[in-house]
Amino acid sequence: MEKSMKTTKIKTGIVVTILIVFLVVIVGFPLAWMALSSLKPGVELFTIPPKIMPQNWSLEWYIQAFSNPNVIRYFLNSLLIASVVMVVDMLIGTLTAYSLTRFHYKGRKLILISVLAAYCVPPIMLMLPLYKIVNAFGMPESHIGVIIAHLTVTLPFSVWLLVSFFKKLPKEINEAAVMDGASEMQVFLKVELPLCVSGVLSTGIMAFIMSWNEFLLSSVLISKESMKTLTVGLANYISSTHIDWGIIMALGTITTIPVVILFALVQKYFVEGMTAGAVKG
Amino acid sequence: MLRRPRLFNSYERRHKLIGLAFAIPVIVFLLAFVLYPVLYNVWLSFTNASLIKKTSSFVGIDNYIKIFSNKLFLKYFWNTIRWTFFSVLGQLVLGLSIALLIARPMKGGTALRSFLLIPYVVPAVTLALVSKWIMNSDYGIVSYWLQQAGLVEARQSLLAMQGPAMWVVVILNVWRSYPFPMLIYWAALKSIDKQIYEAATVDGAGKWKTFLHITLPQLRNTTIVLAVLRIIWTATYYDLIFMVTGGGPSGSTTHLPILIYQASFGSYQIGYAAAISMILGVLMFACIIFYVTRSGLTED
Repeated sequence: MEKSMKTTKIKTGIVVTILIVFLVVIVGFPLAWMALSSLKPGVELFTIPPKIMPQNWSLEWYIQAFSNPNVIRYFLNSLLIASVVMVVDMLIGTLTAYSLTRFHYKGRKLILISVLAAYCVPPIMLMLPLYKIVNAFGMPESHIGVIIAHLTVTLPFSVWLLVSFFKKLPKEINEAAVMDGASEMQVFLKVELPLCVSGVLSTGIMAFIMSWNEFLLSSVLISKESMKTLTVGLANYISSTHIDWGIIMALGTITTIPVVILFALVQKYFVEGMTAGAVKG
Repeated sequence: MLRRPRLFNSYERRHKLIGLAFAIPVIVFLLAFVLYPVLYNVWLSFTNASLIKKTSSFVGIDNYIKIFSNKLFLKYFWNTIRWTFFSVLGQLVLGLSIALLIARPMKGGTALRSFLLIPYVVPAVTLALVSKWIMNSDYGIVSYWLQQAGLVEARQSLLAMQGPAMWVVVILNVWRSYPFPMLIYWAALKSIDKQIYEAATVDGAGKWKTFLHITLPQLRNTTIVLAVLRIIWTATYYDLIFMVTGGGPSGSTTHLPILIYQASFGSYQIGYAAAISMILGVLMFACIIFYVTRSGLTED
């Protein structure tokens, strides 16, 4: 009896291991293939049958990619836009989350519902109106327009994540400070915010990632080469008739690496925040 | 009931006002850049506005009549349903399966979970360019395998074939979107009371029976809310299809978001485009209402 239980346990162990290996391969393969392709010299990129590992490692595609001045512009543009989006999200987001979790006023619930509903409004529906609005304000081809567009996507998400962090703080701290005569702003800055720093920062970084990855709205609002973001620039590369696969793989790799690193840094808090209040069953 | 002292009353009022003040930036932003655009879109859909002419006029429901008299619209609508249904089904099934796999205690479990979350942040453009590369008819490694296996003709790619193209984009979409359901299911599984399982084991219920009669029913609400949220995201998701197939070949992967884009920036008929997005919007509105009321997120 005991022996048969042991063998079933080993059997399950083997099945689980096989499944996990299979999953890891499926998830890792596209990314690994991209990185490996970017390191293969031109001849090897087009061999048949394709070889998995590069025979002669080469950085030629990276050098070629960055010798195009526009590529550096794309990078700087994405960095600038995502950074601004991150800061604005953290500022407005924390104020909102503080307000929604610590005060009880009429309309509080309505704001909460509106934020959640705004979270569900998809970019494709905002595309045309935002395009018209940004142009009407005389800001075509501007980064401000893109930043506003990215905020429509990231702000509701940020508020939502931040609310889950603020909710976890005990209310008593706040009340004690108020009793001691601290003003609401003081409580916010000196008591609540320090306790939420990791949550606020990780929310900001998630907003950065979302902005860095955003494609549709950026592509609609910007058509000037020098103003484009990285995703838009890259998408143009793949839809052009003559495709430089090596350069594209190199660019794809450097677009993805920062995002994966940032995500690794904040993942713990992200998982915490998402699972605390994401979808309650 | 005792009457509250006046001083306290005014303090409370001030406190409430300050609380509201903290929320003003977000209120202003949402009114100006979410609510106003949505309403503006409604208005646009009743006009013949165009990106290439300055003036536009009210045309009533002309745009809607035009949409429904377009024979291709039904095809694109059907594409939207197939794309949404199979993407959402795929990511929920995969997400739940992986959650079940990683919910068991094991060595390196946290590292594995972190790794499996990566697709959540991989830019769609990255996935699109890799898939175009591996599916390239001449040099793509996956195309090569398929050709060798005799599943695809020589120098042919699944992306260029009308039937399979939709399946390819659905699979790609499942690849990038399973982490969210995985995470939520994982959390939901952890929150199920262990005692129920213990009781079941004592009663002699097998693993499969326990899963069917305990785990699944416990995940029912999570699944419904997740499915609705993912339907909203998927049905309106533009980037991946646009970058991988552009809606082709011959419209076989064109869904409503692609159609909206084409009508806006391909033929510049933004009134018409707004009407298509209204149709999508009304369908999604029902889902949004459902999600907001059922998610339990607005409760304290």
